[in-house]
Amino acid sequence: MSSVIWYLYEFARKSWAENFAAAKSDKEIMDAPDRFRNFPEVHKEYCIACGACTAACPAPMAIKLVRDEDSEHEDGFTYPVINNRGCIRCGFCAEVCPTDPKTLTCGENHLIREDFTILPVDKKFVIDDYLCIRCKKCMKTCKVGDAIVEEDNKIVIDQSKCISCGECLKTCPVKGAIKGIHISNVEEQKEIINLVVDSLESKIEAEQDKIKDIKGSDVYSFDISAVELIEEARKILDDDELIDDIIENITDRLKLRLITWDKNKCTNCRLCVKECPSGAIKYTSEEGVIRNPDKCLRCSICYQTCPFGAIGYYISRFLYKRDEADKLIHVTVKTSDLPVRS
Amino acid sequence: MLDGLKDIIRKSSIHVCLVNTGGCNGCDIEVVALLSPRYDLEQYGIYVHNNPREADVLLITGALAEQWKDKLQKIYAKTPEPKVVVAIGNCPLTGDVFNQEGSSVNAPVSDYIPVDAEVSGCPPRPTEILAAILAVGPDAIAARGRQKL
Repeated sequence: MSSVIWYLYEFARKSWAENFAAAKSDKEIMDAPDRFRNFPEVHKEYCIACGACTAACPAPMAIKLVRDEDSEHEDGFTYPVINNRGCIRCGFCAEVCPTDPKTLTCGENHLIREDFTILPVDKKFVIDDYLCIRCKKCMKTCKVGDAIVEEDNKIVIDQSKCISCGECLKTCPVKGAIKGIHISNVEEQKEIINLVVDSLESKIEAEQDKIKDIKGSDVYSFDISAVELIEEARKILDDDELIDDIIENITDRLKLRLITWDKNKCTNCRLCVKECPSGAIKYTSEEGVIRNPDKCLRCSICYQTCPFGAIGYYISRFLYKRDEADKLIHVTVKTSDLPVRS
Repeated sequence: MLDGLKDIIRKSSIHVCLVNTGGCNGCDIEVVALLSPRYDLEQYGIYVHNNPREADVLLITGALAEQWKDKLQKIYAKTPEPKVVVAIGNCPLTGDVFNQEGSSVNAPVSDYIPVDAEVSGCPPRPTEILAAILAVGPDAIAARGRQKL
């Protein structure tokens, strides 16, 4: 009985009533400690726009690089903007920030600091409008605000904002729609491109006899080894990655038109000689009608003119397998969509 | 008089239902931390019920997986008026790390049900969750209780 009285007496005390009325967690518990790693703060005047924070960020929509508009007196600031709704407070961005003092600061970090160097990029990224399917995946993945924009129903990379990180290239679902173009040694690159296209064409023309047999919607495909081609390109510029990139960029887009000439079917009617716009077809009484491939524009007018089907018109496309050891270029040849007379 | 009494009672007793719509469970653990003696949620008159039919406040965590789309709307419909929805963490707001290419999350949750308060963070601190519930909870519930339906 006495224990119950003592128990009730507890509630009768004034201090109990005070504590009961004013019960509250300690302020210490409710406040975030100093070491708490909060959303990063941005000090935009220190930013060098290297993009290291966007590369380190594991959350998909946490950081965007933004560039202010230029004023009359100075260039606009480029700086990261943290989206609190996407940020997971990991602090990696503040950890990798290479500026001193840091552009991004937050509480204590746990990532072990690695040496960070900004890689000089020798590439400019462009979107090939011919291949682009306008899925806008690149716009979503772009780490820089407004670097990829839609203009006149075309997706365009704004070169003044692009930091050449290459993220868009990884997400693009179409091979060749976004490509990294090397910006140095342009003259040498031109030579390599000419070399590659010329040698591809000569190699396809060597297959003429088989190509002539293609009928209707059939496709003739074969592989060409690019090893010799790369050897020759090395003589012009000794940079394997650049050569690989160039060959890939060319072959993704290249559509070679091919004219075949069947001497047996030709009746020397000379209709094509008159029609040829570049004067590439000549008639001599000894050799009959002869086409000069160096002058030929591959315009297909002769093919459309010829009433005897002596001329064939084919389109070839290419796929460069750069990762394989034997560096094959896969070629597919098919007849053109133009009406056929035979 | 009766309304005043109802307001006082509603403000001092908030029942909460926690709905995880397919997240990593981190935010749920922070809510459990709120229940622990250190933060002691119940001193504010908040009680975690996990029954939408008795709840005033729905706490939504998670990035809204495919199968939760209709179920979340059902749960919202089951909650009696007045009701308040608090989205906890980054998942219901943007999808957070789950919102990758090819993933089937349907964030933000506000596309499906009206959201009254948002707490960002991955996960948010327990005190931030508490502040959000207390900021939006009592007044909204009291105000909505007076609405003539």
